[in-house]
Amino acid sequence: MSASDDQADVQRVLAGDVSAYEGIVRRWQGPLINLAYRFCHDRGRAEEMAQEAFLRAYRALAQWRRDAAFSTWLFALATNLYRSEIRRIPARSVSLDDIAEPQDGRASDGGLEDRDQDRAVRRAVLALPAKYREALILFYFHEMDVNGAAQSLGLPEGTVKARLSRGREILRGKLPHLLAMPHLKEA
Amino acid sequence: MKRLSEHEEDEMNRILSRDDEIQPSSGFAGAVMEAVRREAAAPAPIPFPWKRALPGVVVGALALAWVLAAGISDLARLIGASASPPLSVSSPSVMPFLFHEKMGSAAGWIVLGLVIAFVSTKLSMRFGSDEA
Repeated sequence: MSASDDQADVQRVLAGDVSAYEGIVRRWQGPLINLAYRFCHDRGRAEEMAQEAFLRAYRALAQWRRDAAFSTWLFALATNLYRSEIRRIPARSVSLDDIAEPQDGRASDGGLEDRDQDRAVRRAVLALPAKYREALILFYFHEMDVNGAAQSLGLPEGTVKARLSRGREILRGKLPHLLAMPHLKEA
Repeated sequence: MKRLSEHEEDEMNRILSRDDEIQPSSGFAGAVMEAVRREAAAPAPIPFPWKRALPGVVVGALALAWVLAAGISDLARLIGASASPPLSVSSPSVMPFLFHEKMGSAAGWIVLGLVIAFVSTKLSMRFGSDEA
């Protein structure tokens, strides 16, 4: 994905060539849908949210200042939209207190399958209070880049670090056995 | 709450980094472009006619200022009246005077309200017919 491609397409769109927006959509559809999916874990809803994000980006294209990368601006806009959407209609999840603690894997020769562990952790993440959940989602979406997460959330890096730390602590408190499983260390 | 150990943090990073990747459905880009083209084809929203509305806004602001000034002066008069020796409520010479004065003031407000409503309706109808 090239920044100059984005810049050229934006210029063409702003000059009145609507079809140039398709290049932007094709380049960024994967990341935007996947980011939405991390917020809601519902494929259909993720695509709806991503479509709305592209539409809003199209409307606001003239507001993109070239001092930041197009992707940074696009992710910030999409994140803002996804956060409000999820606050308006929360993702199907359970409360943190209702999350079943996975059984101790050591008791049953190998314990939980990776998929079950992943599912338990994702459910626990979705059940976190919004500010911790959003920080964790963005941090891992940006491949553990605090700066990327902070830019998408529009927050200082220190705030994001603090929320990540607190969010992980809450998760650890809810899922202690998951982190203690010996076979996870071997993987 | 105790902080996470380095091992715990590594484990959590490993688990949370392993999120599902989904592929966009085949018609996604097409659906987005269709919505974008619809958006581009839609007429631009009509901007608010600030120039035309300006006289109305000025008149409204002046009327509001006048109402406030009148209200404050009425209030000052009331305070002045309450500071003077109390009048007997049953005093036949004072009550009709106060009653008539209040009625006259209320009628004035009603007439002013009607005039403002009439003028604003007429103006909005005129602006509406001009835009059409």
